[in-house]
Amino acid sequence: MDTQPAIRLSGLTKKFGTLTAVNDVDLTIQPGEVVALLGPNGAGKSTTIDLLLGLARPTDGAASLFGEDPRRAIVTGRVGAMLQGGALLPTTTVRESVALIHALHTHPLSIDEAMERAGVTDIAKQKVASLSGGQMQRARFAVAVVSNPDLLILDEPTAAMDVSARHSFWESMREFTALGKTVVFATHYLDEADTFADRIVIMDAGRIIADGTPSEVKSVVSGRTLSFTLPSMSSANGPRSGTANVEGLQHLIAVTHVERKGARLSLTTEDSDATLRALLSDYPDAADIEIVSRNMDDAFMALTGSEGTEFEGASK
Amino acid sequence: MNIRYLGLELARQLRNARAIVFVFAVPIVMLLIFGSVYGAQFDKAAHLQWLVVTTIQMGGYGAMMAALSQAFTIVNERSVGWNRQLRITPLSGSGYMVTKVAGALAVGLASIIVVILVSVIFLHAHLSLGGWVLAALGLWIGIIPFGLIAILIGQFAKPSFAQPLFMVTFLGLAILGGLWVPLDILPGWVSNVAQVVPSYWLNKLGQMGAGGPGTVGTPALVLGAWTIVLAALITWRYRRDSARA
Repeated sequence: MDTQPAIRLSGLTKKFGTLTAVNDVDLTIQPGEVVALLGPNGAGKSTTIDLLLGLARPTDGAASLFGEDPRRAIVTGRVGAMLQGGALLPTTTVRESVALIHALHTHPLSIDEAMERAGVTDIAKQKVASLSGGQMQRARFAVAVVSNPDLLILDEPTAAMDVSARHSFWESMREFTALGKTVVFATHYLDEADTFADRIVIMDAGRIIADGTPSEVKSVVSGRTLSFTLPSMSSANGPRSGTANVEGLQHLIAVTHVERKGARLSLTTEDSDATLRALLSDYPDAADIEIVSRNMDDAFMALTGSEGTEFEGASK
Repeated sequence: MNIRYLGLELARQLRNARAIVFVFAVPIVMLLIFGSVYGAQFDKAAHLQWLVVTTIQMGGYGAMMAALSQAFTIVNERSVGWNRQLRITPLSGSGYMVTKVAGALAVGLASIIVVILVSVIFLHAHLSLGGWVLAALGLWIGIIPFGLIAILIGQFAKPSFAQPLFMVTFLGLAILGGLWVPLDILPGWVSNVAQVVPSYWLNKLGQMGAGGPGTVGTPALVLGAWTIVLAALITWRYRRDSARA
């Protein structure tokens, strides 16, 4: 329906004194995409969101929404957002909060429809101050969708939600994206990004360090993880000979990486079958063996370099 | 700017009963005390009955307090992040300001009317209906700068700092403007400073409305200048203020 991208960031940079929070970011998001924005704390996700909504001025570069100035897109009601540190008034009810924002927009959904979509119809008369974390996020979602936006920006929408609240939140979000809307959400939950987004953008230290489909991002870390405990290492020998043993593990066939967490060892391997055979012949006492595919967490850690490893991989 | 949003905002603010009781009670108590003491004496400087002068003083005092107390509402709204939410709506900086000033005017008008009614009904203050209406109108217009000062305090102050900032501003303006004690019993320099303080002209506008001496030229100029400078600061600040609380 649009020829212009929903979001275009070009050379976007934001400096706070000597700190560069967002560093020369280029990003184009087309209408209809569902994009997860991932990154460790302080990666620049929230600042990027503030910049693309025009809430902060870039030090350099520019942001446009649907080919227009962000403010213009906000005024025409094409953008809805749930921001960090943006909350509702404690003394108003959920319905009153939605009604206040509803009154400001030119072509909004009806108040009832916005509440329906966010699943807050049953708590409409409750005061905001009395809501649980999950209810509060849903109420904020109702406020974000009341303008009937084409683009939704969600900064950690499921923070403070329990598992079932997260589940029902993503249910309402699916209904929203089924209408062909664009959604960008920042999250700490990698599984959410994996299951919900068509595209994952990973930021670290103000830059985009990965951008692709969930499977592309995961392919950064190939292979499987083989983990086990080794009674001979933890009990009989001291820590020094334990280190020697770990170095021995690195030379097992197809192993690219070794990690030790307490008594448990994890091998990253390109060929788990071959590694397992070699392991059992060299270390017959290996116990509690598990083999799993590497997941989004591993990809994320590999990309952002925030891994808690003691031993670097042999063939890295 | 739209009327429906304004209506919802005003309804929301008028429900804040605790602040309103405070705003109404203090000037009424002061009026009842001073009014019954000095009663029917005539104030030569203002060419008005003493009771009428005191009524206007207290009406202005209550209205000013009503307008300035908007600062607390705004500080709280900002601290929970409501302003960030508003920034992603079509509401403009000037639209935001108009809504907040309208809120101050609504509560302020209620306070002015209550003070005048108490004075007429219980103390039998004597003035024509037209005189009261114009006095109320003068006070009402005069509180616009205070609504703006409140927004500015609300926009800049952290929650913990709002209370002292409000008290200093409020007491300073009340004393310098001659809303608490007549200026002629204070040192001479106070009267000179008073000429540039909006609360002084708020009181004077009320007196002129009631038929006291003076022309509206000077108060219009002083209050207009305050309004323009404050309004410019507020709209600038609103656009800049996206601080994550």
